[in-house]
Amino acid sequence: MTPRIELVGAADAPLLARPYYEGGDPGPIVGALAHVPEVLDVTLPFVGTVLGPTSIGVRTKELVILRTSALLACHFCVNTHSDVARRTGLEAAEVRALRDEVPYDTVFGDPAERALLAWVDEVATGRGPVPDPVADALAAHHPTHEIVELTVLVGATMLLNRLCSALALPVAPEALARLDEEDLRWG
Amino acid sequence: MGVIADAVADGVLPGRVWFYGNYHCNLVCAYCLTESGPRSPQRRLTAEQLVRMAEQAAALGFTELGVTGGEPFLVRDLPATLGRLASILPTVVLTNATLFGDRLLAELAPLAALPLSVQISLDAPDPDVNDELRGPENFAKVIDAVPKLVGLGFRVRIATTVPGERLDAEDHERLCTLHRSLGVPDDDHLVRPVVRRGRAEDTGGAIAFTPDDVAPELTITADGAFWSPFGPTVRDGRLATDLLVSRQTDPLERPAHLLLRLVEGRPRGDDARIGIR
Ligand code: SF4
Repeated sequence: MTPRIELVGAADAPLLARPYYEGGDPGPIVGALAHVPEVLDVTLPFVGTVLGPTSIGVRTKELVILRTSALLACHFCVNTHSDVARRTGLEAAEVRALRDEVPYDTVFGDPAERALLAWVDEVATGRGPVPDPVADALAAHHPTHEIVELTVLVGATMLLNRLCSALALPVAPEALARLDEEDLRWG
Repeated sequence: MGVIADAVADGVLPGRVWFYGNYHCNLVCAYCLTESGPRSPQRRLTAEQLVRMAEQAAALGFTELGVTGGEPFLVRDLPATLGRLASILPTVVLTNATLFGDRLLAELAPLAALPLSVQISLDAPDPDVNDELRGPENFAKVIDAVPKLVGLGFRVRIATTVPGERLDAEDHERLCTLHRSLGVPDDDHLVRPVVRRGRAEDTGGAIAFTPDDVAPELTITADGAFWSPFGPTVRDGRLATDLLVSRQTDPLERPAHLLLRLVEGRPRGDDARIGIR
């Protein structure tokens, strides 16, 4: 699929975007946001903080990111994070379950993770407050600050989902190649 | 004082804010940074935008304004706008001086009492050499316009753009003799290299530069705010973004603070290695 916009290359990178290009191709999200440097300037630190390492474990975060991306049907994020998830220790079956290729309650037995995924489903697709049973189930496993952070994580992922989907940003070929080895490419 | 005013007072930020009033031009110079010509998209800043941002510039602590293009005087209401700008801060307007007929000079005359100076391009002491770069009749029109503007009481600066960093010594002296004869003193004659951007990307002797080579003069265009008036150049119809600071221009506070942040993030020292002004 052809990206809907031209991505900013290193030679055209605005001053505020340049640090992101110093290590080579920074990827299409930076290449898109670099068109508006003042937005890139705040968005990338935000996204990096919310999606990057925090007090919440990597596995938990990848469950949230991949599940949210699957619900939003983001080609870029589902494929990119299927690859990330595999490389951070999720099983291929778990990846498939998060993508609704098999019912996820057949794969995820841990009550804490089932409560988390139910919460993500409500936050990403719901319209009002999360229903009490879903909220209570999550609160049984996570303190308030984690509930807040997990909710922000769903929201930040949705932002990226729509950015990457709407602009048809291309998935890194290396990620797709790794997924193909396990027949895990999505879409 | 505010942060920007302090930075200007301390020499960390230059005091001048540049405005690209428009991008179109009646000339098609060989080395034009903005690839301007009669059919270029105008990409104008309106009079109201210019005045509003000039007021913001003054409030932030900037001390001077510059108006460039394109050829700014193609915009019909420019004299009135210049009067408003120069009432806010001392202003210089850059022009090719080909449009100074009686009517425009009459419109400009009342502005001579304001801190408004006019910078005019003249590249060689010989009409044929100058006009080869800048277009037919350009030399004659400049020679005609400069004394009239000086006579009205304007400070006129002559800007000479030459390939490479140096003007041939003999030509330089002849050019100086010429500008003196037109009423322009040596202090108001600038000589600068052709910069390898825009239409000059393929010009022999044109000089490449990095941000550290040019003063970080906040430059406002219809497309965003830039590091320097050498930033918002155009090549093959595409705007260069390598010196883009922000897309937002108004209010001026955001690009001014982002520019200062960028300036403070680089090593301190002389702000312009090759003296491009
Ligand atoms: S260099 Fe100036 S006068 Fe020449 S085409 Fe460009 S804008 Fe017009």
